[in-house]
Amino acid sequence: MVDANYLDQQVVVFDLDQQVYGVPIDAVLEIIRMEKITPIPQAPDFIEGIIEIRGRVIPVMDLRKRFGLQVAEYTQSTRIIIVDMDSNSMGIIVDSVAEVLQISSGNVEPPPSVIGSVDQSFIQGVALLEKRMIILLDLAKVLQDEEKEVLESIMTAEQNV
Amino acid sequence: MFSNEEIAVFMEELDEKIQVISDNLLTMEKGEDSPEVLQEIFRAAHTIKGSSAVMGYDRMSTLTHQIENLFEQLRQHSLPVTAPLIDTLFEALDTLHALRDEITGEGEEVDTSAVTAKIAAFKEDTELGGTGEDPGQQKTGLKTKAAADNTAAADIALPQLEETDETLITQAQLKGFNAYWVTIVLDQHTQMKEVRAFIVFETLQEKGEIIKSDPPAEDVQEGNFEHHFTVILLTEEDTDHITNLATSVADVKDVRVQEVLLSRDAAVAEEVTPSATLPAREDQQQNPTQGQKKISTSKTVRVDVQKLDTLMNLVGELVIDRTRLNRFTDVFESQYGSDDLAESLMEISSHLGQVTTDLQDEIMKARMLPVSYVFNRFPRMVRDIAQKMDKEVEFTIEGKETELDRNVIEIIGDPLIHLLRNSIDHGIEPPEVRVKTGKPRKGKVQLKASYVESHIVITLEDDGKGMDPEKLRSKIVEKGLVSAEQAQRLHKREILDYIFAPGFSTTENVNDISGRGVGMDIVRSQIEQINGSVEFNSIPGQGTTFTIKLPLTLAIINALMVTLGKHTYAFPLTHIVETLAIEQDEIKLVRHSEVVIVRGSVLPLVRLSSVFNQQPDDEENSRLYVVVLGSGDRKVGVVVDRLLGEQEIVIKSLGSYMGHVDNLSGATILGDGKVALIVDPRGIIKESGTNAEDVGYAEAN
Repeated sequence: MVDANYLDQQVVVFDLDQQVYGVPIDAVLEIIRMEKITPIPQAPDFIEGIIEIRGRVIPVMDLRKRFGLQVAEYTQSTRIIIVDMDSNSMGIIVDSVAEVLQISSGNVEPPPSVIGSVDQSFIQGVALLEKRMIILLDLAKVLQDEEKEVLESIMTAEQNV
Repeated sequence: MFSNEEIAVFMEELDEKIQVISDNLLTMEKGEDSPEVLQEIFRAAHTIKGSSAVMGYDRMSTLTHQIENLFEQLRQHSLPVTAPLIDTLFEALDTLHALRDEITGEGEEVDTSAVTAKIAAFKEDTELGGTGEDPGQQKTGLKTKAAADNTAAADIALPQLEETDETLITQAQLKGFNAYWVTIVLDQHTQMKEVRAFIVFETLQEKGEIIKSDPPAEDVQEGNFEHHFTVILLTEEDTDHITNLATSVADVKDVRVQEVLLSRDAAVAEEVTPSATLPAREDQQQNPTQGQKKISTSKTVRVDVQKLDTLMNLVGELVIDRTRLNRFTDVFESQYGSDDLAESLMEISSHLGQVTTDLQDEIMKARMLPVSYVFNRFPRMVRDIAQKMDKEVEFTIEGKETELDRNVIEIIGDPLIHLLRNSIDHGIEPPEVRVKTGKPRKGKVQLKASYVESHIVITLEDDGKGMDPEKLRSKIVEKGLVSAEQAQRLHKREILDYIFAPGFSTTENVNDISGRGVGMDIVRSQIEQINGSVEFNSIPGQGTTFTIKLPLTLAIINALMVTLGKHTYAFPLTHIVETLAIEQDEIKLVRHSEVVIVRGSVLPLVRLSSVFNQQPDDEENSRLYVVVLGSGDRKVGVVVDRLLGEQEIVIKSLGSYMGHVDNLSGATILGDGKVALIVDPRGIIKESGTNAEDVGYAEAN
């Protein structure tokens, strides 16, 4: 089942490791250029550190690391998308931001079993637009902290025994 | 129905008055039942009665009415002040509190019958006989001393206020005018009362404006009145002045001037009359000749704390931008120093800086509350605990006007209650024991608040039995906190520090006041949570003093900025003992832990680079900088690359995603927009605790 998040609404589209992804525009606070990030000791490896945005301290995650993709150098087009889920703000580092697209529900499909190398649980659906395939992310899952995930996976594993 | 705002105003006033009654009851209990004290309670009860009746809280108004009557008799000395009476009054006060909680929905429905019966019993003991009246009916069984033909101004009922009058008065008060009821009684035998009345009117109008007259002005001018009349006067003068003015008119026999009470704010009425007693009436109260209280409702605005917090955040952002602008200005100046544009930019920047600083100060002040908000509950609490424990305690409070940020105020209540309980329970000995040891029967407990630099220091001192380190030594072994062998090696100071250990308690018998072994550890962690510190000093047989040091605000702290590799870190000054510069070769190894000898004592070292797994500067510096942190009696030196200096920083949380990170207490934003992490000194001290033992061993050898 595809979440209502993506039905008939605008999506911010960005590139990551030669794939096109989208996140709902409602969840996006702003998009900024790469800036100096202060690392946090003992944080998960995909958390690059924290930045300050207008008086708020916001953690930043490298989406490539989060998805277990090849790590790449930051370039001129690297952007940080600041997203907000359940009043939890987070910056996500992406290769570049392309555009904002209107997506209608007719074009959204549930996620296929294998897409590139990204864990399927991060994906909510796939939108097909003018021969392009946009992977719609499940932000809540992406922003969920690791420990909870590990716990959940253990739980499900136990249930499957 | 009343709006939430009105109810909130009523509640605030109610709390204030309950506090007044409570304070004065405690004074009474000490045997000081001076007229002023009785008067204060009487007035407070009267106010509650009036406003609760207006709000429609009948049980509350009935109860306060009874309290008021009781005090009426106390004032008349027709009832002696006895211990059971005071107890009953305290019970009545608790019932009031319960009624209040019932209204706010915090408590159960309250049954007031028990306490009202008790109060009634006291009344019946008096020779006056019960007055047996319904609430709301304002009669008392007292006879006024004035003879029938010799009316005193005080006995004359005041007319009802019309809404238009109230509006006028409110407006006048906003402009700083006082509104007084002026009641004039002319001599029975005066020949031309209308002329006299006219002169009184004229005289008063020289000093203000008469907006109402009872009987109406026309009737008074024509002589259609009973030797007395009442007017409302708006004036900037005080009551004494007006009284003198009115009395100066010939044939005026008696004058009463009192502040007009608006139904909204039953403020304190000013009463200037020689008459000794009066019947209590809804609209008139007697006031001792104390300082005048003016209605000050017009000068305050209630603001939601949330709003203040938002303002504070905005100011925080301004501070950051200002610092950034300053840096930019510096660059600009070095490049285009002589340019007019650069000049004006510098001017703007420095002015903005000043304004921001002032704004920050003002908002900080707006968030401050006097500690009396917390302290005021204590006298009553101490009394109750002391009674329960059969101890005699003389409790004094100093410096309750000291102001603190409201967040801090909210947090320190519990720890202080805990310390007070401990003090009375464990510290103060029973009276007979005290007498045996040559101390006064009454134990002294003193709570003091004062400013020390940019901190507030609260001390709690008792002259009880203090803590005996040797007794504690066996105690902690018994509790299994340390082994007997380890205990023998501990210093006296270290042993005392164990009172803050979880699961520690020294009382043999567990009671409901203290001694469950939870407490001191929580006290310490609550205080340290807000960047405060708690220390104590105890002399066996002479007493114990706890010293709590708190920051004035939670949002902004003073910190020492240091660098490690490419990053900047902030150490809160509260836990910094000193900073040192040492040579690489001064570092000694004790069982694989680095230590350094400072003034003859061993200081364990921790490298910040290893705490945060970060690369320090590559340069092989022979000189090292050490920040010495201390909490309680434990010290640890943290090795950093360089010291940058002291700075005021705004604390930001790392956000809920990051949650708690070990050894970090947040982040702050630097002038150049970079983020610096704030080190949590307590975490580092705790972590280094493992090699404290090694250090102890090293010292022993």
